[in-house]
Amino acid sequence: MPYGTVAEQISPQIQQALIGIVGKENVICGHEELLVYECDAYTLEKNLPNAVVLPRNSKEVAEVVRLCAKHNLPIIPRGAGTSLSGSVLAVTGGVMIGLARMNRILDLDHRNRRALVEGGCVNAWVTNAAKSHGLLYAPDPSSQSACTIGGNVAMNSGGPHTLKYGVTTNHVLGYEIVLPDGEVLWFGTTPDGGEDVDGYDLRGTAIGSEGMFGIVTRVLVRLIKAPQAFKTMLGIFESVDDASQTVSDIIAAGIVPGALEMMDQLITQAVEAAYHFGFPTDAGAVLIVELDGLGAGLDKQAERVVEICKQNRAREVRMAKTEQERADLWKSRKRAFGAIGRLSPNFLTQDGVVPRSQLPAIMKFIRQTSEECGLRIPNVFHAGDGNIHPLVLYDERDPDQVRRAIDAGNVILEKCIELGGSATGEHGIGVEKIDFMEKQFTKDDLDAMRKLRSVFDPDQRCNPHKMFPGSKRCGDFHHRKQISA
Amino acid sequence: MPTLAPTDLTQLSELLSCASVKGERIDELNLSALNKIIEHRPEDMTVTVEAGKTVAALQTELRKQGQWLPIDPPNPETLTIGSLLAENLNGPRRLGFGTIRDWLIGIRVALADGTLIRSGGKVVKNVAGYDLMKAFVGSRGTLGVIVEATFKLRPVPEVESFAETTCDSLESADKLIQQVVDSPLCPVVLDLHQLPGSNPILVIGFAGTADEVEWQIGQAKTLGIQTPASLEYDRTFWSNTTPAHSVSVLPSKLVEALQKVDAPFLARAGNGIIYYRGAAPAVVTNPNTALMQRLKTTFDPRQTLPDFPFAK
Repeated sequence: MPYGTVAEQISPQIQQALIGIVGKENVICGHEELLVYECDAYTLEKNLPNAVVLPRNSKEVAEVVRLCAKHNLPIIPRGAGTSLSGSVLAVTGGVMIGLARMNRILDLDHRNRRALVEGGCVNAWVTNAAKSHGLLYAPDPSSQSACTIGGNVAMNSGGPHTLKYGVTTNHVLGYEIVLPDGEVLWFGTTPDGGEDVDGYDLRGTAIGSEGMFGIVTRVLVRLIKAPQAFKTMLGIFESVDDASQTVSDIIAAGIVPGALEMMDQLITQAVEAAYHFGFPTDAGAVLIVELDGLGAGLDKQAERVVEICKQNRAREVRMAKTEQERADLWKSRKRAFGAIGRLSPNFLTQDGVVPRSQLPAIMKFIRQTSEECGLRIPNVFHAGDGNIHPLVLYDERDPDQVRRAIDAGNVILEKCIELGGSATGEHGIGVEKIDFMEKQFTKDDLDAMRKLRSVFDPDQRCNPHKMFPGSKRCGDFHHRKQISA
Repeated sequence: MPTLAPTDLTQLSELLSCASVKGERIDELNLSALNKIIEHRPEDMTVTVEAGKTVAALQTELRKQGQWLPIDPPNPETLTIGSLLAENLNGPRRLGFGTIRDWLIGIRVALADGTLIRSGGKVVKNVAGYDLMKAFVGSRGTLGVIVEATFKLRPVPEVESFAETTCDSLESADKLIQQVVDSPLCPVVLDLHQLPGSNPILVIGFAGTADEVEWQIGQAKTLGIQTPASLEYDRTFWSNTTPAHSVSVLPSKLVEALQKVDAPFLARAGNGIIYYRGAAPAVVTNPNTALMQRLKTTFDPRQTLPDFPFAK
């Protein structure tokens, strides 16, 4: 039996049992309906789960999980399916447990700056609900209007504002998790408890475990005070090197911007063609610098930033004068991936990290790689964090381009690791970057991770075939690999 | 057994490996020989340091480049980075800067059998692999021996300033804390402390640019918090070598909890944490104990490291 094909359909008895738990309308078994769930936002590998269930509460999740445990079926937790690394791919089938029906905000405690939400609650809804209290939920992935808080916990998601505020693990106080054997536990701070909890930090240990330790059903998040004021600037540079140097100089000046994002010429052109924000299309790179905090003294800091941009030969520095201008600027950044459709039928998003000071080196390497493989590689990324997102453009109808795109992505990530960085800053390993684990970690490091997994999931049944070298791959992917070999 | 003091990683690894094979337990380790800063990269705002270095010595080095590790645990002159992590310690600035887990981006650990492993890395954003770092922070040395850590850093704030006011009662302190929370202020410290026979004192602290700190100090004044202050009370509280109990409650229930504490106390009002010396708080059973014990036995199957350290 080749990998990726389903050994057998789940039996009618199990189907009936699932229906008995969540109701007929919340069980999906038909081939056509299952196609929606064949992949996430990583589309190079696809496979169908045997069934998708959409439970309405933790109790139903636990019952479904226990049923799967009894029949030794893989379980695959799924939020909104926005993962860019294939983290919710049903590699060998199994029962996919979607959190779509569990998307409520259960409580918002503004005095204690916490919100309690269900795992399927959309990221952006939390900040929207907190806004009227002058609060916000800091981690803001570009997919925040779709991605879920439970998915964010699984992936330890980031976003443009992580430079100053940190990532998901810094903002999740606690959560309810259904372990792979069906046991329901609460990790970390409880909804009515103090923030310090006795014991090992299970909460932190399971955040970012890519859905392999259990299913997150309710989450207690920390809200922070919304900044009183913003200074959002757009620096326009002749070259990526000048823009990169500006990033380093801002940091060296002791300024910690709320966000520090770079877009190179190719992506700026695409964004401009798509949304008409008035970006210069002949500039080598643009930097979005956002300072936030109290109003007092922010002007002075902004002046300092402008000065640093100018020292690095910025052609121009524009300041958003109104909230609308600021919103437009961010819209352009967050929709940049969407604009790529104008440049190419397909693109492969990479997610490497380098130490900030190595940005010029990695950008140069990407330019060389682009020339060598004959594919365009625009860049839009979290420059302040050293987190790059090269977008390798290709046409999937041309197998040779597919091969070259995969190869280009791989050598870029290898270079990131060589420069002291990581193969993933926020998208996760999933199935996509499994091959990089052995490049970034030793066998002993990986064994320790396997041990940790065995604590939570001794049967390796929860979101299996992810992260670890030697995992099974989808049949389709093997086919592609052969093309690329 | 006498305290073991390995001179380098190889020796530490051997000590653990031998003890593990023989089924012996190593209760205490002195890592003071491992006290080097391996790499400080000011341009990347990161530092990699060995576990035996003291917090104060590290901060002194970082300050030369205008940076600091944003954590202010008790007794930094004697506290090592390894203990800071293993005990998950912090101080008054916790409200503004979080706890040590928020700054840790990489870790190197000697496991119970002497195997050296790493988790995380040297970059500020990194989700490759599981976050084993969090398992070791606060684990009191029972899952492995932390030998090296990499942290994100911050620029030293241009200005730091503290103010305090004496409150008539815990109830009036409660009202004032509420006013601070509702105000636009972003304090990095909000502590309430009380000595025997005196009234509770509320301390507020700000850090940042001169302009923003000055503006906030002015705002605090309008709330009646106007006496210039320092963090000396914190130093005094922790100079007492008798261990303190700690209680963590919802910040809104701090005063309610303090009314039950019949002893001098130090409280992080913004976080809802109370420290005091006296009768121990009631122990509650932890529903996660079985899972935590599984974690312990998985990482220390031959009981080479200290016992499971938490209430069951």
